[in-house]
Amino acid sequence: MKVELFYAPGCTKCTAAKADLQAAAEMAATGVEWCEINVLDSVDRAVELGVLTLPALAIDGQLVFTTLPTPSQLATELRRRRGVQAHGA
Amino acid sequence: MLTIGKLAQAGDISVDALRYYEHEGLIVPAAKTDSGYRLYGEDAVRRIRFIQHAQACGFTLAEIRELLHLRQSDSACCNDVRQRAIEKKLQLAAKIRAMQVMSAALDRLIAECADGEQSVDDCPILAALEQVDDDRERAP
Repeated sequence: MKVELFYAPGCTKCTAAKADLQAAAEMAATGVEWCEINVLDSVDRAVELGVLTLPALAIDGQLVFTTLPTPSQLATELRRRRGVQAHGA
Repeated sequence: MLTIGKLAQAGDISVDALRYYEHEGLIVPAAKTDSGYRLYGEDAVRRIRFIQHAQACGFTLAEIRELLHLRQSDSACCNDVRQRAIEKKLQLAAKIRAMQVMSAALDRLIAECADGEQSVDDCPILAALEQVDDDRERAP
């Protein structure tokens, strides 16, 4: 699973939350690819996913959180998706 | 102090637009004359310029009100303003992309209509616009 965190440089709440979110994601599912994306370097990618406000978080190319989730919300969502994938396999 | 007419002149804006800004809470008269006419301080001209520049960057009046609040807020910093500017840039980029899709759709329709001399009944553009979208028809 690929997690993309879009942030604006200088965002203090993003800086504070990034490490906890990454840790929660890696605990919730194995093989998580964690990407932190400075939106100014990737405007096209952000627009492609429909990111209009920051910070935002996409999972597997789908915009899931338009505000910063808590680590527990992110872990729940990743586990749900992992369950759906396992069920579908 | 400036009357609304003088402020409009100084800000190169109509009196009606100024009244609308006031209605939207973007400017506030500093005082009123005994006969009830609005009077504005000299800083109102700078405020009008600020609003006009922000509008030119695509900010809505509601967003400009937020920017003005940020400017006066002790707890806000430059990054708060920068974040809004970045979000506005994203919104504009999304609009540009949507318009490019519309433009490409029009290109396809224009290309289909090679013979402009046909009767309107045979116009492929009108026919394409009228075409039933199967997917949408099936949707509940």
